[in-house]
Amino acid sequence: MKSVQFKVVSRLDGDAAVIYPKGYLNNLSGESLVLECGMYIGKGITKIVVNFGETDLINSIGISLLLQIIEDLKNIKGTICFTNMSKFLRDTFEMLGLMQHMTVFPLESDALQYLKAGTV
Amino acid sequence: MSIELKKALYNISALADLGQEITSANNFHEKIKSVFYVITGTFLANKGAILFYDKSTKKLNTLTQKGFSPDELDCVQSAELMSLGKNEPYFIGDGSVLKVAGAEILVPLWVRDEFIGVLLLSGKLTAGPYTPEDIELLNVIANQIAVALNNHSLFMDLSDKLEENRRLYEEMRHIYHGTLQAFAAAIDAKDAYTQNHSHRVAKYSAAIARELGWNEHDIEGIYVAGYLHDVGKLAISNALLNKVTPFTPEELAEVKKHSTLSHTITAKIKFPWKNVEDMVWHHHERLDGHGYPEALAHESLSDGVRILSLADSFDAMTSQRPYRKKMDVQTAIVELRKCLDSQFDNKIMLVFCKVLDKEIKGELPEPDILPHLDRDSDLSIISSLLEGIIVELSSPKN
Repeated sequence: MKSVQFKVVSRLDGDAAVIYPKGYLNNLSGESLVLECGMYIGKGITKIVVNFGETDLINSIGISLLLQIIEDLKNIKGTICFTNMSKFLRDTFEMLGLMQHMTVFPLESDALQYLKAGTV
Repeated sequence: MSIELKKALYNISALADLGQEITSANNFHEKIKSVFYVITGTFLANKGAILFYDKSTKKLNTLTQKGFSPDELDCVQSAELMSLGKNEPYFIGDGSVLKVAGAEILVPLWVRDEFIGVLLLSGKLTAGPYTPEDIELLNVIANQIAVALNNHSLFMDLSDKLEENRRLYEEMRHIYHGTLQAFAAAIDAKDAYTQNHSHRVAKYSAAIARELGWNEHDIEGIYVAGYLHDVGKLAISNALLNKVTPFTPEELAEVKKHSTLSHTITAKIKFPWKNVEDMVWHHHERLDGHGYPEALAHESLSDGVRILSLADSFDAMTSQRPYRKKMDVQTAIVELRKCLDSQFDNKIMLVFCKVLDKEIKGELPEPDILPHLDRDSDLSIISSLLEGIIVELSSPKN
């Protein structure tokens, strides 16, 4: 699989952190996504939105990293939402049976609205 | 596409990821971490560990893990695991084989008859069971990581042996150099006026060779030749070496034997460096063929001989002798300059001047010549003198 330099940017939106992984989530550089989430969790943020708009591909390494993020949020009774997923990502998560363990929205704005409504 | 087909493709892709990570150029730690992510991502395990069996301590050490208690992992005993099937996944069940909270399945890792370690996984995040397909895949993965870990173990064994050999070699080198220095001290002790002469000649020669661009091995060789160049003096009487009045022709002939004696002694030693015996034998030869013991000239004299000859003469001139006072550094340099073509080589003289000038100007981190020169020397005058000779010897006609 061709490698694309993976990077992560993020912003705060109210009491939620929005994280934008960019590139393929398929090697150790994906750990920066876990670290970014960990950084917000360390600051007391319990609501995280991961916008996959610029992540088309994921492999077993990426899945493992996402499991870690899901686990980290579960441990602090927080909420993680995944948005803007490509068909490949959705199909992969569905096939693995992960969709039941994720809160998924088509768009980032939907997730933020959901988190602001406090229906967590 | 059916869900089973998609899952099969995902598993094949995971195997490809595993192969890619195992054969990647990453270091071992990164490799194991990536392999671990591939495994936990493939089986959706939120806890897992890879333990590596240390043959020398007969203990399992955690290479990487997430979610398990480190203390419990430390207590995992290898004996029970070694009785299980090689690379065959084993459901832990009641925990009689292993007591690590959350561990659901283990795979003892083997390569042929060698126990390598163990892979531990928790249940799946999705709470689904490990299917027969999962077990088959886990068996294939276990085989692959066992080979990767075994290769690393072999590599580490080799590295340890290499390191041990390197350490022994360094120890031998220290002993070797210590012996040489003892020899040199014995040579110099015969003559109160030439104390540390061998040491200085070794230092000066090495400095010139380094400036000439010699490799470290050859520099060490000429350093050793510098130490041993006068070893033949051990066979010359103290009375003769310390004689204050000029030598008679017979006495001079006797003293001149020392370079051949040096050769005779050093030729018996199997040096790891080339030409040490040649350098000590011919350090009194001259370019014009009027030196001794073989009256060799020009092409017959190697760069090593030419370096040693100049270094020896420079130190002899700047040292006190029973029959004359020592020269100051400028006078000695001028004397060397006068003897170019007849005795000393232009190229070697140029390099000697360059290295000494650099040392005076503080351009070299560890000076080899300067610390041994007369402390009263006016370094600015010496530097000007050296600069003039450097310009002269660098001109095209030279």
